[in-house]
Amino acid sequence: MTPDAPPLLEVRNLSIRVANARSNLVDDVSFSLQPGRTLCIVGESGCGKSQTALALMGLLASPPLSVTGGTALFNGRDLLSLPQAEKQRIRGDRMAMIFQEPMSSLNPVLRIGEQIAEAVRRHRGVSNSVARARALEMLEKVRIPAAGKRLDEFPHQLSGGMRQRAMIAMALANDPELLLADEPTTALDVTIQAQILDLMRTLQAELGTAMILITHDLGVVAEMADEVAVMYAGRIVEIGATQDIFDDPQHPYTIGLMSSMPALGRRSERLVTIPGRVPSATDMPDGCRFASRCPFRIGICARTPELSNPGGSHRVACWRAPIEETYLQPQEAQPA
Amino acid sequence: MSTASHMPAAGLPTARRRSRAWAQLRTNPSAMFGAGLVAFFVVVALLAPVLPIPGPAETDWAAVRKAPSAEHWLGTDEIGRDVLSRMIWGAQASLLAGVVSVAIALGLGIPLGVVAGYRRGWTDAVISRITEALLAAPFLILAIALAAFLGPSLRNAMIAIGLSAMPVFIRLARGQTLLVMTEDYVESAHAIGLTNGAIIWRYVLPNIFPPLLVQATLTIATAIIAEASLSFLGLGQQPPAPSWGSMLNTAKAFLEQAPWMAMWPGIAIFLVVLGFNLLGDGLRDAFDPREN
Repeated sequence: MTPDAPPLLEVRNLSIRVANARSNLVDDVSFSLQPGRTLCIVGESGCGKSQTALALMGLLASPPLSVTGGTALFNGRDLLSLPQAEKQRIRGDRMAMIFQEPMSSLNPVLRIGEQIAEAVRRHRGVSNSVARARALEMLEKVRIPAAGKRLDEFPHQLSGGMRQRAMIAMALANDPELLLADEPTTALDVTIQAQILDLMRTLQAELGTAMILITHDLGVVAEMADEVAVMYAGRIVEIGATQDIFDDPQHPYTIGLMSSMPALGRRSERLVTIPGRVPSATDMPDGCRFASRCPFRIGICARTPELSNPGGSHRVACWRAPIEETYLQPQEAQPA
Repeated sequence: MSTASHMPAAGLPTARRRSRAWAQLRTNPSAMFGAGLVAFFVVVALLAPVLPIPGPAETDWAAVRKAPSAEHWLGTDEIGRDVLSRMIWGAQASLLAGVVSVAIALGLGIPLGVVAGYRRGWTDAVISRITEALLAAPFLILAIALAAFLGPSLRNAMIAIGLSAMPVFIRLARGQTLLVMTEDYVESAHAIGLTNGAIIWRYVLPNIFPPLLVQATLTIATAIIAEASLSFLGLGQQPPAPSWGSMLNTAKAFLEQAPWMAMWPGIAIFLVVLGFNLLGDGLRDAFDPREN
């Protein structure tokens, strides 16, 4: 599964905690990412996937959130312990991030071109005209029609899809090695979503950028990911190659997620739901955090399971894995 | 004195709000009337040196305390100076006091408020506690105390008024900064690695500007009254230089014999304050998304 090249990003035992909380919001998260590859972090709202990305960027809302442990080696340097000025130098240059809300992620009083040029000037120390030319080039690269005219427009003159394209242009303006995308298509129309994903894939292939894509949409995962990390209540419960996880999900939560996804074609009874709800961020249970909702729960689930490789293809954090095929719901989701 | 409670929220995209705001302002008759009043006094004050009027300190012992006439349109004062001339030159002192003291309040209040809102933590705690302490003292009392401490002169009066008006701007700038800091575009500014200075200059300041502009306009009116009050008490403009406040002060001794001496400065203060208030109210309405 893992090529021999050294990873671009290696996150080890990352933990994030809300001030005064009893347990970690993000707990002991580890993963690595090779240059040019895409890792999808999947999970429902509040599972800590966005906080993980923000922590890597050094943008965690602290206080009340703070990183309580772990390392994140990016090209050999630990992002979590870099001084502020160093982080600012890396952000927007070697690593960049795009956000969920294109409508509000651009400064309303700055022209599109100036905002992109600002990122270029900041990191390359080039003149205004060079930065502006780069901004134009980027707008063309993200296929904004009439890019020359859009350069001098304000964000409110652009549609949501176009703003997200502008955000991508801004993020990629300095050819970062790593792009973090936090639900980049969630706020967009379905047709625009497909266009943006397509654009991101094309640009990624062109520029060789590695990507961490955060989403709750398994359709997006199937389309974009080389590898998947499934997060539940702040922990990675299953991680591996996309194909392996879709073919042979091992964790009861992953299985539940996949059966709750509507499939085209065969129309079965009702969509499956996972009973219960996610434990509150400030009051996580000991042991396996999914146990209270898990149909396969047994006594040992009161202890925290480690990620291991019982089924052979990928790693999962569950005492019961591998769960026998016979337990599974009749319809198993297939990758799109 | 209006406070942050009815200031517009920095919620909507500011650029769109801004162009729409100006359009709305132009169609608001009372705001335009206010702007007209302000413009009238500004033009008159600026033209003072070229208007065919006697000098403001020129005395005419043959015409002491004369009622308005063709020769002296607004009458003369107790030592025969032309009241019209003193009114016009006095407008300079009043408007200057209004603008300069508000500039002082803005110049100190915005940086302190923005730093408090941006850095939070102990910086915010220190600045906010001092602001609250200053706000606990009534505006005019504070201005009088400061002016008395600094010594009577127009310059010191402006400093005293500016310092007294400053806490309102600190609080407003801090609150608006806190609001803007929660916006997604500030997070994306951090994400492209901009320095704090660049974020404050290009992202925070332009987006907190509208409510500060409204507050500044309304505060000019308050500052003009404060200057008149200080001059009335002898703490502002010093004789023989004219100011509306000091003219009122002199006039109170002659209210029965020469009521016009008190009437004109009173009317002028009323009109210019009315003008700034109408303009400020209009700006507030135009920038307030809830009323659009």
